[in-house]
Amino acid sequence: MKEMKRILLILTVAMVSMMSMAVSCREPEPEPEPEPVVVDKDYNFDLFVCAVKHGGMSKNKNGTYVRSVPDVTADQPMVEFTGKGIDITEDYTLESITRGKYYYQVPQRATGGFVKFHIERNAAGEESIVEDAEVPFKNNVYSARKYTHAWINDSTTLVIVGTADKATKIIWSKLNESNLAVQSEGTFDISLPTGYNAFSTTGLLTYRKSDGKLYYFYLAKPAAGLSDAATSVTYIAVIDPATMKVESNTAVPAEIMEETAGSAYGELMQNMIMYDEADNMYVAGLQTIDGKEMGILRRIPVGQKSFDPSWNGFPNPEGKLLTVQYLGNGKALSYSRDETLGTKIDSKSHFYSIVSLSNGARERVKFNGKDLQYCGGRFSQRSTVVNGKAYIGVGGEVEGAAEETNPTIYIYDCKTGVVEKGVELSKGFCFDIIRAMDAE
Amino acid sequence: MKFRQIVFVLLCALLRIVPLFAQDSLVVKGKLNDTLMLSNATVTARSQEQQLREGAYAVGAVNIRIQAATLQTLTQAIDRSSGIRIREEGGVGSDFDLSINGMGGNSVRYFLDGMPLDAKGSGITLSNLPVNLIERVEIYKGVIPASFGSDALGGAINIITNRQHRNYLDFSYGIGSFHTHKADFSARFTGRRTGLTIKPVISASYSKNDYLMHDVKVRNADRTAFIVTDLPRFHDDYLSLFAQLEAGVSDRSWADDFYLSASVSKVDKELQTGATQSYVIGMAERNTKALNLSARYAKKGFLTDRLDVNATVSQTWDHTQTIDTTYRRYYWDGTYIEGSYSEIRHRGKTLRNYRRPMTLVRGNFDYHLSEAHQLTLNYLLNRTGNRQDDAWDADYVPTDDALTKHIIGLSYNQVLFGGKMDNAFFVKDYINHLEVGQSEFASTSGAATAEASSTRNYLGYGVGSRFAISDPLAIKASYEHSVRLPVSREVLGNGSTIYPNLILTPEISENFNLGFFGSWDLGGGHVLSYEANGFARLVDNYIQATVSETEGMMQYVNVAAVHIKGVDGEIRYDWAGKLHLAVNASYDDCRDQREFNQDGSRSITYRNRTPNRPWTFSNAEASYTFHQVGLPDSRLRLTADYQWVHWFFVTWEAFGSASTKSRIPTQHIVNASLLYSWQGGRYNLSLECTNLLDALAYDNYMLQKPGRAFFLKFRLFL
Repeated sequence: MKEMKRILLILTVAMVSMMSMAVSCREPEPEPEPEPVVVDKDYNFDLFVCAVKHGGMSKNKNGTYVRSVPDVTADQPMVEFTGKGIDITEDYTLESITRGKYYYQVPQRATGGFVKFHIERNAAGEESIVEDAEVPFKNNVYSARKYTHAWINDSTTLVIVGTADKATKIIWSKLNESNLAVQSEGTFDISLPTGYNAFSTTGLLTYRKSDGKLYYFYLAKPAAGLSDAATSVTYIAVIDPATMKVESNTAVPAEIMEETAGSAYGELMQNMIMYDEADNMYVAGLQTIDGKEMGILRRIPVGQKSFDPSWNGFPNPEGKLLTVQYLGNGKALSYSRDETLGTKIDSKSHFYSIVSLSNGARERVKFNGKDLQYCGGRFSQRSTVVNGKAYIGVGGEVEGAAEETNPTIYIYDCKTGVVEKGVELSKGFCFDIIRAMDAE
Repeated sequence: MKFRQIVFVLLCALLRIVPLFAQDSLVVKGKLNDTLMLSNATVTARSQEQQLREGAYAVGAVNIRIQAATLQTLTQAIDRSSGIRIREEGGVGSDFDLSINGMGGNSVRYFLDGMPLDAKGSGITLSNLPVNLIERVEIYKGVIPASFGSDALGGAINIITNRQHRNYLDFSYGIGSFHTHKADFSARFTGRRTGLTIKPVISASYSKNDYLMHDVKVRNADRTAFIVTDLPRFHDDYLSLFAQLEAGVSDRSWADDFYLSASVSKVDKELQTGATQSYVIGMAERNTKALNLSARYAKKGFLTDRLDVNATVSQTWDHTQTIDTTYRRYYWDGTYIEGSYSEIRHRGKTLRNYRRPMTLVRGNFDYHLSEAHQLTLNYLLNRTGNRQDDAWDADYVPTDDALTKHIIGLSYNQVLFGGKMDNAFFVKDYINHLEVGQSEFASTSGAATAEASSTRNYLGYGVGSRFAISDPLAIKASYEHSVRLPVSREVLGNGSTIYPNLILTPEISENFNLGFFGSWDLGGGHVLSYEANGFARLVDNYIQATVSETEGMMQYVNVAAVHIKGVDGEIRYDWAGKLHLAVNASYDDCRDQREFNQDGSRSITYRNRTPNRPWTFSNAEASYTFHQVGLPDSRLRLTADYQWVHWFFVTWEAFGSASTKSRIPTQHIVNASLLYSWQGGRYNLSLECTNLLDALAYDNYMLQKPGRAFFLKFRLFL
């Protein structure tokens, strides 16, 4: 028994000695950092619908309506548009620049200038539009919808870029965010390459924080208007936002990208450029595969100014890649089309996927284990990412003689990947945009 | 009964025609006393307007002769008619849209003495056709006789010109607000020896249309902000010239009428706005010129006593040029920015030429089976070319399209029960042939999918019936399965503000009319008459004009279906040819009938009221005539009329809260005129004030109409 106690004592001493040695070998334990407190901002969700047909790029002549609601969770009452909401058809375009609670655009009513407005809700929940500023063009003139934009100087300056003179010149204007005053204007020192006769209508403009440069993606095309991707060349112009001088202007090899996913209306509606935490830039584009224009997702690594030719975040595409939005942690939300299910604007062939940017793997967004349905709306942006959640809208479903469903918003938790059902919209409308706007 | 009919006819004519000042005497040779003059007038009116109203079809008739001395344009007179609404885009010479019982745009066809008005050139419309030339206007509502060879869906306007068989000279000159001038000359001369008749017509009108625009946005002094102000229009000049010479013979053994005609027209129009007035244009123009050569032949008893023939051939060379060669972006104060896009198309600069040669061949054969039964065969060939080129844009590829229509109509008319009942049955065959060469804006125009050459055949048919129960009560009903082929403007665009739509399909409609009419002689010269009509237009593939994108462009598109149901009615009161009161009102309910969208989902607009169209409106008119005022054989007529149009939404009424929706406000327009005529109508002086109360009024997409305007007109008739 004594022997037993001795052994236990030796073992205890040995363990304590080893533990004390182990402790003495480690760095002193730092004070645990407090978890960053993420305070969810309050947003209003502005929901845009159109009658009869999808209204993206304003081909819809049947009416555009918007409701602004503070909550889109499932316990909210259905969002109605009959006798409710704002009819913006005559005055404003569906496509718009937004920031905070404000909208900025060249309005539909074509008064010859820019307008800034926001949506207000009264105590009864009735929405109205309040115009905060309207200024005339200075020298450069833009058409409704036909411009691209970027924010610089800590978002106090809005840069607008468009084309002029049968899309043979690229013009720009800098506007003061608060009152829309035109600070400066000019024309980029960019000429059409030999053999090409027109630039894309607007191209895509973006501002990269890490190098403080504007990147302008544009196309050189054989003629103005629609053209096959294979006949265009994509260019990247890097621009100093202070001087607006073009620092570099390089063609993108066709095998990397033939066209950006959109080039006619900037990102006034659809998001085609995104950044990750490291400020790698991702651009959705088109590539001709077996005679069909298919989606491609390319990356310009941080610190570089051209695409990484070896990286494609959207391999084996089913069709065109239409929008991309960064979700965090190397994941993105894509909205793309399955060419086999229809290629019309209203074809129910569009769907959402979660894309892993590490390996290009993607999986359709599911609810209760079932894929979210295919939607109509080639030119739609029914998803927005705020407060660590992606709010994803789908249109009403019609399958054979089955009862048509209501357009519905699904809420995807970016951390957990859990999808819950959100609010429904009244049946029959073409759900086109969801915008998360600062509540105040 | 016969006595009552005679009294009725005499009183009707007396009360309706007494205001005929100048014109009344024109039918009477030499100096006649009032009684005889009125008798003549009575016979004339009975045989034309009254017979039309009492026919089997739903027809309205407007006597232009009694108003010619005051009118500026035909549209003014027609706009006051029951069931008619004219929406104007601006002032003198502006584009307009006329609707009959809710059907407007190109659903309504226009004819000049039975021939398509287009033959005079695309620049000639109701707004610039010389008023003095016109005898009356017939308005066919919904159901149109086969004799017109028409594919109209909503109705037809047939303008009947002066067919007097005596020599005359008619000259008028008017001057009005907004720098408006208008001069018309027409005459008829028949050589005694040769029997050759020559009928010259010359008409000119001009206006700067510089009326005040209210609440327009312009830049402030340092051009950094907008201010709202009132400013005159500055680029809306309008010039219209029309000349015609007709020569031929009448009353020959081989022809009742055989005339050759040549006419030229020129219409230059500055463009001030796009489809909405917020888009200001300061340089662009649309100019049109046309030459027409035609021949017409008419013979009653052709080869056999039972056959009447009426034939016309016509060739028109129509050239429209749209000048859009500046990149300026204008504001309402006339200032501008040297911008990036052209004014009309909002793209590159263009100087576009549209050459639209039109060939018309019309033959109408009436075979009288007996006095009460008649067969009519009508054939109309209408071929309209559309050759486009651009004198500025070297990249533009010239195009050459053609739209050919063959319309064959066969009708059978019968008169039963001693004239109490009148029936008409008809069938029409429509053949449409389209050749497409243009490819511009392929995705918008449909050129990408349209067949280069296509021929389609459609069948229409209908029936009309009228039964007179008694003088105060007659009933008429009519029905037509009608087809309306798209016109070139709808399919091929207008070169400036309307995109082509090459895949438009014809409108097809089931048109129903049911009406009552009658008249009471209240004694003492008081006569009360009325008419009330109910109608339904069940339209498929309705062709609707819609605003396209932001550049102020429009395009005609097919809407799956609409149903229009409504009523219109008019009450008229006359007293002894001095006092005339009339009021009419129209209501129609136009509902979208497309139940499903293209993707199979249920349409939310199903059974919604169709947006952007007036649906309730009313007119009231009062006039009083004084006789022998001052000068011998003189008359003074004072007239006032009031037009009211209920407000309406620009977009679907059901969606969005009402407070946020664009609407076209209610219109209250009062017009007044004074006409003094002496020497039996040889001399006429009129003063008209339109929009007397200077009300702010809009018709189309918030395009402001002119404010108060005056027009002074002198007319000489020899």
